[in-house]
Amino acid sequence: MSDIVIDTHNISRVYNPTTIPIYAIRNVHLHIKRGEFTALVGPSGSGKTTLLNLIGGLDKPDEGQIFINGTDITTLSPGKLIDFRLHNIGFVFQSFNLIPVLTARENAEFIMLLQGKSKAERGTRMKQLFNQIDLEDKMDSRPGELSGGQQQRVAVARALASKPQFVLADEPTANLDSKSASNLLDIMDKLNREENITFLFSTHDQRVIDRARRVITLVDGQVATDTNVIDTSAPH
Amino acid sequence: MAWRNIWRNKTRSLVIMVSIALGMFAGVAVLALYEGMMVSRIRTVIDEETGHIQIHHPKFSEESETKYTIGNSRDLIQKIKTIPEITLINQRQLVNGMLSTPTGTAGVQIIGVDTLTEYDFSSLKQKIREGNGLVPDKHHQAIIGMKLAAKMKLRIGSKLVLMFNDTTNDLVTAAFRVSAIYRSTNAPLDERLIYVSRDELGELIGLAGQCHQLGIKLRDDKDVEAAARKLKSMLPGLKVQTWKDISPETEFMVRTVDTYSYIIMIIIMTALAFGILNTMLMAIMERTREIGMIAALGTSRKRIFLLVLLETAFLTLAGAPAGILAGWLTANYFHKTGLDLSGMGEEMMSNFGFRTLIYPEFPAEKLIPVLTIVVITAFLSSLLPAMKAIRMKPIDALRN
Ligand SMILES: Nc1ncnc2c1ncn2[C@@H]1O[C@H](COP(=O)(O)OP(=O)(O)OP(=O)(O)O)[C@@H](O)[C@H]1O
Ligand SMILES: [Mg+2]
Repeated sequence: MSDIVIDTHNISRVYNPTTIPIYAIRNVHLHIKRGEFTALVGPSGSGKTTLLNLIGGLDKPDEGQIFINGTDITTLSPGKLIDFRLHNIGFVFQSFNLIPVLTARENAEFIMLLQGKSKAERGTRMKQLFNQIDLEDKMDSRPGELSGGQQQRVAVARALASKPQFVLADEPTANLDSKSASNLLDIMDKLNREENITFLFSTHDQRVIDRARRVITLVDGQVATDTNVIDTSAPH
Repeated sequence: MAWRNIWRNKTRSLVIMVSIALGMFAGVAVLALYEGMMVSRIRTVIDEETGHIQIHHPKFSEESETKYTIGNSRDLIQKIKTIPEITLINQRQLVNGMLSTPTGTAGVQIIGVDTLTEYDFSSLKQKIREGNGLVPDKHHQAIIGMKLAAKMKLRIGSKLVLMFNDTTNDLVTAAFRVSAIYRSTNAPLDERLIYVSRDELGELIGLAGQCHQLGIKLRDDKDVEAAARKLKSMLPGLKVQTWKDISPETEFMVRTVDTYSYIIMIIIMTALAFGILNTMLMAIMERTREIGMIAALGTSRKRIFLLVLLETAFLTLAGAPAGILAGWLTANYFHKTGLDLSGMGEEMMSNFGFRTLIYPEFPAEKLIPVLTIVVITAFLSSLLPAMKAIRMKPIDALRN
């Protein structure tokens, strides 16, 4: 139990239940263990975003329960849910991840500020994270001065700043060129291996899928395949 | 972060700040002008019309019959002079009567004055536009107002006949010559008041050496109540009134104008509020995704609400002092040079007893209420955008 971070119990999400119902997610059972590096794939409209939103507590399922580290988040009040997200879940979105008026460092610190972490604690964490995303020299740049790939790396740093249970990323590389995409994946991969950080990301990109160690395919809101990839690219 | 957001759309923030500043400036300017008009009106009342305090026979103000004098005025004056606040005592005889000329007749009030003290008391000398005033050696002279002169077609040297009752209610008729024409800031009075020599008038009505009214000037406006109290206890048989008692309409006007100025402030602020509201709503709509994103990350609704509120607060607080400062500088400038309002119509101003040269006063004591109104305005007009911000659903905001 303790190493299962995400546990969805037969969840469904129906849009337009009164007119033409669309089953965006249908009876999904899913277990994600701590330290997994999982890609969520499937054709457009298959429900990837919907599933990530449900797991991230941004949306509620019409049926079923979602346990995050043992807590059923479907029963939390909106206020509690906001707080739960703040302390347990890291998010990387496809675009508009960063607040343009804040520097890279301030963006990454944002969650720690909300959590009320001390200045010293934030300082050490930021140093460590910017070192990990290899952007130490850009800490004081505004998002507008960073490339798309650099912005997504800052978003990863922000997602990790609060030491969440796991990081959800909906098509994090969709707006990136392939070099930046592979660079971002390198960093996520490294964080996963070295710090045992759990990642669950959706993607269309075959090169990104190739980097995952577990691939879940959704078709019409249902899990079609779920495979553990034999790790061939391990470093050393 | 709210602070940084302000600089995001500089033009827009500037528009808000400038409009708040302009609103404040307009508010302060209007208040300063009103304040100046009120101060000027009060000065006119005290310096040119009633003085600080007046003393009458208790029945005089109701019936104003010639017989109700205040008795032996010389003794009285000796007594009153001992009050230290008093700087000037002016005796007047007041008789209501009728003026007739070949052109027609008019109801007037004839005031018997001692030329020199009257000059000091009501600035009569400064009001004279034509002629020389009451020259000591000549007899039966009268100073009349410009309005009356125009109405009755009188000029310097014209002859006029005054009719009035003496103490025994017998009709007295006497002929006078216009020796001077005056003009004050109070047009209605200019049509009514005729100044003649007190000694002559006293003889005609049979009250030589007595008077109907003692007008008193004090060292300082603030001494009015204290001096009036002393006079009342000193002169139990007489009626002692301050300028506020005599001219309650002035007091009333001051209060009405106060109310008006707040109404004007509120109108200005309402216009401002819509401006702020509109601009902040635009700012929020533009940032739908960003707000959705920080909400998804776990920013509480309270914080998002505060963010919007703070942003508005910064804009207001930056705009308001600038406006107040501009208002203060302008008010001070015109306080020194005076603001000529004759463009508004000298006629109209003087009908209400106002001078046309106004010295605006910075309304320091109204600053707190004005600022409160501004802060409330800013707060209220940012409430709606803030509500809008917290109602945004992260998933909707984040969807492409
Ligand atoms: N708010 C909504 N209202 C109605 N239908 C919706 C809504 N959001 C999603 N859907 C529908 O739900 C289904 C799943 O959508 P979802 O965005 O989860 O797919 P996806 O796998 O993320 O697609 P993509 O690869 O294009 O991002 C689609 O058929 C979509 O049209
Ligand atoms: Mg999607």
